[in-house]
Amino acid sequence: MKTFLKILLACLLAATADAKEIKLLNVSYDPTRELYQDYNAAFTRYWKAKTGDDVVVSQSHGGSGKQALSVVNGLEADVVTLALAYDIDAIARQGQLLPADWQKRLPDNSTPYTSTIVFLVRKGNPKHIKDWDDVVKPGVVVVTPNPKTSGGARWNFLAAWAYALDQYGHDETKARDFVARLYKNVPVLDSGARGATTTFVERGIGDVLLAWENEAHLALKEFGADKFEIVTPSESILAEPPVAVVDKVAKKHGTTELAKAYLEYLYSDEGQEIAARNFYRPRNETIAAKYAGQFSQTKLVTVDEVFEGWQKAQKKFFSDGGVFDQIYQPE
Amino acid sequence: MKLKQLAITMLAGLLAAVPAFAGDGDATNSTTEAEIEALKKEVQELSRKVQILEQQREAAQPAATDTNREQIQALDQKVRILERQRELDKEDAVAAAKTRPLIRLDSSGFTLGSADTNFVINLHGQVQLDSRTFFDDHNLVNSGFLLRRARPIVSGTVFHDFDFMFVPDFGGSTVQIQDAYLNYRYRSELQLQGGKFKSSVGLEQLQSDLYTFFNERSLVTDLVPNRDLGVELHGDLLGGVASYAAGIFDGAPDYNGTTFNSDSDNDKAFAGRLFLQPLKTTDLNALRGLGLGLGGSYEDDHNGASGLTPGYTTDGQQKFFSYSAGVVANGTHWRLSPQAYYYYGPFGLLGEYVVSDQQVSRTTAPLGSADLQNTAWEISGGWVLTGEDASYNGVTPKHLFDPRNGQWGAWQVVGRYEELKVDDKAFSSTLPFAVSTASASAARAWSVGLNWYLNRNFRVNASFSHTTFSGYTGTFPAVPAQPENVLFTRLQLAF
Repeated sequence: MKTFLKILLACLLAATADAKEIKLLNVSYDPTRELYQDYNAAFTRYWKAKTGDDVVVSQSHGGSGKQALSVVNGLEADVVTLALAYDIDAIARQGQLLPADWQKRLPDNSTPYTSTIVFLVRKGNPKHIKDWDDVVKPGVVVVTPNPKTSGGARWNFLAAWAYALDQYGHDETKARDFVARLYKNVPVLDSGARGATTTFVERGIGDVLLAWENEAHLALKEFGADKFEIVTPSESILAEPPVAVVDKVAKKHGTTELAKAYLEYLYSDEGQEIAARNFYRPRNETIAAKYAGQFSQTKLVTVDEVFEGWQKAQKKFFSDGGVFDQIYQPE
Repeated sequence: MKLKQLAITMLAGLLAAVPAFAGDGDATNSTTEAEIEALKKEVQELSRKVQILEQQREAAQPAATDTNREQIQALDQKVRILERQRELDKEDAVAAAKTRPLIRLDSSGFTLGSADTNFVINLHGQVQLDSRTFFDDHNLVNSGFLLRRARPIVSGTVFHDFDFMFVPDFGGSTVQIQDAYLNYRYRSELQLQGGKFKSSVGLEQLQSDLYTFFNERSLVTDLVPNRDLGVELHGDLLGGVASYAAGIFDGAPDYNGTTFNSDSDNDKAFAGRLFLQPLKTTDLNALRGLGLGLGGSYEDDHNGASGLTPGYTTDGQQKFFSYSAGVVANGTHWRLSPQAYYYYGPFGLLGEYVVSDQQVSRTTAPLGSADLQNTAWEISGGWVLTGEDASYNGVTPKHLFDPRNGQWGAWQVVGRYEELKVDDKAFSSTLPFAVSTASASAARAWSVGLNWYLNRNFRVNASFSHTTFSGYTGTFPAVPAQPENVLFTRLQLAF
């Protein structure tokens, strides 16, 4: 009997021994594909040099809200790098996969880089779009994704709302009317920022794309500065896309140490350089200064300043029956 | 352009008319000049009007073009938006399909599953309605119909890697749980199964009831264990070229139609099997279907009477051998079963040899023990007349039974020869473990049959089996006293 059990155990161990391969799944939002392709290559080199281990990082991209829901529903992400803190909060709250105070575990509220919202318009700016007021004019076709599923779209919405509040003396009714007029100009809602870029750039729809700054620069780089222009509005929002280890999944996979290192390396000089090269605004001041020329200076407000944090903003604007549902009427 | 052409034409006409007037003499000169002046004025007026009209038209044209261009652009945008919306709707539909639960009803039964297939449940079953007609049996056995098997089957998967199966059987005279097990699939090469299931020894026994050549398995199955309770490590290697199973079980006697759901002693049995299909993945088509294996079991069995077979039975399920009262299992019990099959096109062949070696004792005078070695072998084969491929997992008709369209399913002829021999020591005159007046020491049988596969779910069998016995010295009539001749039929529904 004992011999049999020993043989059984030996077979099990033998079968599992060759299965060891360090894999990491990074579930991210839509426009970070290029950033993390570059970053993963750098990190795997760094990790190999440090530990001798090979690591294979897989990426999953989509609308930030959808991605968060997928993780809650069982997508086994070792780390999440999403568009906004609320989506990681949802994973903590609904999935119980990481602690509620996850944002305190890394510097800068676990946001190693930032971005903002700008306008991408067609070359020559035929509709003369200079600021948010031009975006809401009748006849201007605006492309922006669905705030229900896209983190970028929520930043777009809040940036417009913040601008309107400033313009109308913090009159909520006027701000609501302003944003309602904006969405009246939106003929189609993609589920994520990359889809919206496709709609505007490749499908030739619309006069202006409300875009992540990094996404707008990428479109310019990939499709040509002779076709598009970036317009920076007089006021926008400081978008802070956070990152976190999904504790329970990483523990299950035995990748906790690796996952932590993966995110911490985003704050390294190399990580910050890669972020900047991909048009994200680095936190590191030296590197930020080095790349200052590629980012326009404009007034940036934060979600905490204007909307008292993501929880309130989400509930007020984007929950079922919220402001967005009230003002957006698909044709 | 038309106005300009008109003016030029008129001018040309007027100029052409001038020489005609010039030839009429001085008296008419002043009149002519006046007329020319008038015409000149008229031409100038016409030119002016033409010029004005052209200017008006040129002024109107750009405005009209700009309007059209805007309209075209607006229409183009609308078309693009509609096309994009259609794309997004399609993407949404695909995404929705990925989360839509699986609901399917087909020849494999009713299947419900989660969209990611991590959770699946199958409801299926089998019903076998048999008839057995005995000839020249001197009314020892009842001929008639019987519900041989009636099994609702629930199987499925939870959390992707955990399979389960539950098979009760309402056929026969008692309700039994045939299979009830859980299986963890780490990978196809390494799986761990626990519960009640077929012990991995006999090739024919391991073949599903749905696919055997004949209604009843052969005499070799009398010597292998039926379902048993235990835990087994198993898997397929090299894409099915090799499969293995090794497990620890409560221990089961030689074939017993009735299975148990608990153990009656502390002894445990080890059972295992290695089966190879060495040419399965090669280009040698004629040998791909060759399979060779070896199954075996070992148990130190001191389980008294329940460790012994309740008796060996014929094709007609009549007992022709049993141990005498007071004989018990008392020592090692091992089995070895070299086995093989070969399938090529419509041809199928299955052969198996079994030796079952068991230490037995008498608990009544004369006391004593012996190591008895009973053996059996069989070879069975079939040919699918309609050309379909034969296989260990049955025949799938190319043309489903549909007489309205002249389709008749698949037809197969089958044949079998089998023998079982009880160790001579069992009938020892000084230390007998069985008596020849009650049991035969050997049985030999041949069978022929015809199987009709109407479709994947419905099958009809008819076969005849002739069994002869040796070593019986008892009274007449008795089961082993004369040959057994049985005509079998079966209606089988499986889904």
